[in-house]
Amino acid sequence: MENSLGKSINFIRTSEKAEHQVTHHHKIGHKHGEGSAIDFYAYASKLRCWNPTFKVVFSFLTLLLCIGLNNPFVSIAVIIGMAYLTVLKGGLSLAAYISVLMIPITFIIMGTIAIGVDFSSQPIGQFNLFLGFGYLFTSVDKLQEMAFLMLKVFGAISAMIMMTLSTPSSEIIGVLRKAHVPKLIIELMNLIYRYIFILMDVFNNMRNSADSRQGYCDFKTSCTTFGSVASNLLVVSLKKANAYYTAMEARGYEGDLIFLEDEKKMPMRHLVIGAAFIIFLIILGIMTH
Amino acid sequence: MNTSLNIREKRFIAVVAAIALVFGFTPVANAMHIMEGYLPVGFCIAWGVICIPFLIAGYMSMKKTLKENPKTITLLAMAGAYVFVLSSLKIPSVTGSCSHMTGTGLGAILFGPAPISILGLIVLVFQSTLLAHGGVTTLGANTFSMAVAGPFAAYGIYKLGLKLKINKHVVVFLAAALGDFFTYLITSFQLALAYPSEAGGVAASSIKFLAVFAPTQIPLAIIEGILTVVIIIGLETYAQPELNDLGYLTGGVR
Repeated sequence: MENSLGKSINFIRTSEKAEHQVTHHHKIGHKHGEGSAIDFYAYASKLRCWNPTFKVVFSFLTLLLCIGLNNPFVSIAVIIGMAYLTVLKGGLSLAAYISVLMIPITFIIMGTIAIGVDFSSQPIGQFNLFLGFGYLFTSVDKLQEMAFLMLKVFGAISAMIMMTLSTPSSEIIGVLRKAHVPKLIIELMNLIYRYIFILMDVFNNMRNSADSRQGYCDFKTSCTTFGSVASNLLVVSLKKANAYYTAMEARGYEGDLIFLEDEKKMPMRHLVIGAAFIIFLIILGIMTH
Repeated sequence: MNTSLNIREKRFIAVVAAIALVFGFTPVANAMHIMEGYLPVGFCIAWGVICIPFLIAGYMSMKKTLKENPKTITLLAMAGAYVFVLSSLKIPSVTGSCSHMTGTGLGAILFGPAPISILGLIVLVFQSTLLAHGGVTTLGANTFSMAVAGPFAAYGIYKLGLKLKINKHVVVFLAAALGDFFTYLITSFQLALAYPSEAGGVAASSIKFLAVFAPTQIPLAIIEGILTVVIIIGLETYAQPELNDLGYLTGGVR
């Protein structure tokens, strides 16, 4: 009796957990398994009907300017411009946008601290802290450099996620194909992109069934379960690879994979506004140099 | 600030700072992708150029494999997808934190270092577009640390260990853990080169980056080693024929 009660409570807990994971999407913070989320946003974006080549080239140019000019004003302009495009034009909710933007936050905080703070055996610099074996020190200049670096990184990230949040990967691959990336790599990318979702699905099923059998109850069991699931996943994926090759051959595969790509119009308006933004960034960079 | 605190208080602050550093940041460990915008343009290009010979070698070997056996195209693609999925999985950890395998050590052991360079590049592209880890401009640096240096180190250690006739599972553990560790060394060095310390130059800066990332990366390398051994044991038990299939790609675990 007690046991079954415990189990039912446990069941409720796990279903709460599942609910929690469903609602988790719009929380700010670092999380993973986000893959399908970004892909989902890309398909749902209102910018999806824009010409993919334009989006890729535009965001790449913005990214290059943001890094190349290395100027806080340019970074702020890029952050604002890209947020405007993704949230207001693209129709993504602000919370979702910020949560995607925050994915690399740990790396940024840790990396920036390592750049801004220095150590030495003498108490030098404007601020220092004795740590037993030496001094951690920093200065106003360093702190300013840290802040500017953070702005630059966020500018660069927002330029890139403008592209990824509005262009599904298959269209990005299409752009790469037009840029004459070798055929073998394009084919592999197309296949890998599709297989990722298949394997994710298989993995989720395996994980759920392991989880419902208490496969993740403690650390040691989790390790064993993880290993078994991962090795099983490889076996399943290799079997699938053979089956997919047979399926491809049955449909007349003779060494060329051709994927359907729909052509999207390139309105003059986008080109003009895009060029204006790029020129604005360059002028802003030179003026505030 | 310096005059107002006595030594005991300073010690206390130091200990608190150390604890905050270790525990404050461990919850989110990840393979060390250098983020978009972190490297100056010169370094982005330089690391890209350094990768090119490895990528060309990988491309050639892949082309040759495909010519001999066209069936390997889906196998290679599955291998790439597998490395991606593996690297996006949450792995069990003691603190309830959220961390990931790099998957490159296992990939190098299973598929060999040559195809892994190209597959790793593609996986990194998808990690930046689908997961927002890493970036386009830092692709060269990340490819070098994760798709070239790490796998080559892991494969080298694996082959060397087998030659020295050490227990295979110990070798797999060492290869995966040290491959991961090597990636962490290279990334820290890449960051240090781009941001040398004023007082001590690149060397001091490397030590800073190594220290900052050590609490997340060292346990991660060890866990990755253990999990890789568990996966290999599972494969040896259930998937001998599939492992033989993989011999096509490389002469990995045969």
